[in-house]
Amino acid sequence: MMNKGHRSNLGGLGELARRAWSRSLRFRAGVVIVVVMVAVAILGPFIAPYPSDGWGAVPPKAAERAGKPPGPEFLLGTDHLGRDVLSRILVGAWLALAQSLAVISIGLALGLLLGICAAYYRQAIEATINYIAEVFLALPAVILALALRMVLGQGIHVVIGSLLLTWWPWYARVAYVYARSIAEMEYITLAKLAGVPGRRILVRHIAANVLPPVLVQAITDVGSVLLEAAAINFLGLGLPPDAPDWGIIVQNGFKYVISMPWISLFPGLFILLTALGFSMLGDSLREELDPKMRRRWRLWF
Amino acid sequence: MPVSLNYLVRRVGWSIATIAGVVILSYLVLVLSPGDPAVKWAGNPRGPGAAKAIENARKELGLDQPLYLQVLNFLRMAFTGDLGISIAYKKPVSEILWRGLAATLELLALAYAIAIPLGAFIGVMASLRRGTWLDGFIQSASLVLANTPTFWLGIAIFMVLSTSGVTAYGRVDTRLALATGFRSITGLYLLDALVQLNFPVFLDVLARTFPPALAVAAYPVGVCARVTRALMADALLEGFVQSAVAWGVSRRAVVWRYAFRATLAGLVQVSGLAFAYSLVDAMVVEYVFGRDGLGRFLFDSVNTSDFRLATGLIIVVALFYVLANTLADIVQALVDPRVKL
Repeated sequence: MMNKGHRSNLGGLGELARRAWSRSLRFRAGVVIVVVMVAVAILGPFIAPYPSDGWGAVPPKAAERAGKPPGPEFLLGTDHLGRDVLSRILVGAWLALAQSLAVISIGLALGLLLGICAAYYRQAIEATINYIAEVFLALPAVILALALRMVLGQGIHVVIGSLLLTWWPWYARVAYVYARSIAEMEYITLAKLAGVPGRRILVRHIAANVLPPVLVQAITDVGSVLLEAAAINFLGLGLPPDAPDWGIIVQNGFKYVISMPWISLFPGLFILLTALGFSMLGDSLREELDPKMRRRWRLWF
Repeated sequence: MPVSLNYLVRRVGWSIATIAGVVILSYLVLVLSPGDPAVKWAGNPRGPGAAKAIENARKELGLDQPLYLQVLNFLRMAFTGDLGISIAYKKPVSEILWRGLAATLELLALAYAIAIPLGAFIGVMASLRRGTWLDGFIQSASLVLANTPTFWLGIAIFMVLSTSGVTAYGRVDTRLALATGFRSITGLYLLDALVQLNFPVFLDVLARTFPPALAVAAYPVGVCARVTRALMADALLEGFVQSAVAWGVSRRAVVWRYAFRATLAGLVQVSGLAFAYSLVDAMVVEYVFGRDGLGRFLFDSVNTSDFRLATGLIIVVALFYVLANTLADIVQALVDPRVKL
């Protein structure tokens, strides 16, 4: 793993993806799912049969349309307010991806920065960062969402804030572990002796080598973050109850689960499928990166 | 003794420091939350006596002291198990949450009693048939299970049961409990019913806990299956397993007594970590199945803006997380003589 890690950088990641594509069926399936979902997220509002339903507007003839089972007119049925479920799912796709990708990208950047700093500077900085990471690792995202909901009120900031606070420590830890093993290698010592400035060593020699394995981990995590975001929204801690988020649509349908099961059924399937797609992608990439490395799921330590 | 005292002391100290951090953080929630807690505590008084009542409430809650004293005071209270009085329930938060935690633990325990043996068995089967269709199927199925939204799975189970006429709502049939004179002492209904030899209630509680437990079990079954498969694949190649095969030890003994035992430690550690993770799943499923667990109090605290209850919940969950992780590490060391802590 380590000797491969040294050569590979971001260009190596493309090479990795090519190898995974030719070898792994799971990788190809993951790519297809993710590409389709990204396309849906971008095109959703345009391909939705009833776009205004999708955004949460109650249609004029709500009473007539309410509670229609899936059929040719409404492919996935309508909800209790007469809104087309398919339109709501399609329009909400970007919300699902935006929430999880925002959390992962910001969390990754923050975690890398702090993790590498902790490994390189050591002592007080190391201890402080480790302690803060430890405190946030002891709190599940849903509980932090509760705290943020109490203090700040409903909104997307609750979802992104709580997930961000609970996810950056994972990346900080992974980055910290990799960076420490790299920082103790000879070429870093040589670079220091040659008078390469500290910041340059950090970026060019340590961060560049820590990035690929952490990035692969992050792809898998997009799915996990999506699941947690959906749970937070389902509990009513995050987005307002009219937003077309998939977790919220499941919540809306929950009260009518006996009479109109399709309202909750389909958005849940979309969550499952999207999370599965990212999982398959990250999983197969990781196997390609290091066939011997065991999958540790969301749990690193 | 594979666990050194030195490690234990360090670990416990680190855990206490972590919890202290969480307690301070949760106090910030209390301070920063909108609305004056003293006004709420005094019951939103109006009229001429209002200012005096609020002033008294402020004194009573200790809000007239400087912030660092308030934090220290809150820390001291939290570590003695006093989490204040719930604004909505007018009862001690620790008492409410203890009951909730018992309900949640019962659900989690049943879920893991299903998940670990099942997951381990499936994982061993997959590892013995590596590369076959069965292995492929198990791998895909566990990936799907691990990516299924638990709340959605809970709703699906709830729906299927309801349409087939089975009620799995709540923790126990109140009328049955009253009729048979069932009283809960520990908050763990299964245990209480068993101790009181109250079998109708025991069966009723079990029947109501089983469906939500299935929903919670989905994730750990997937995790355990995958971890066991990976660890077994390594263990089967180990020298001691190979030589057991060469000695003519029966296949079953080789698989279960030699190879599987070597995977136990890893399995314990992973399920310990997953156990903490499943706490949130259990809370969400409790909400779906209308059980009086931590999940219900999470919901209540938001809907009634009960900040005391919310801060208590944050502390209890963090405590649970840290305890579960620490225990998992220690049990792992006890199971596996190769691990030295």
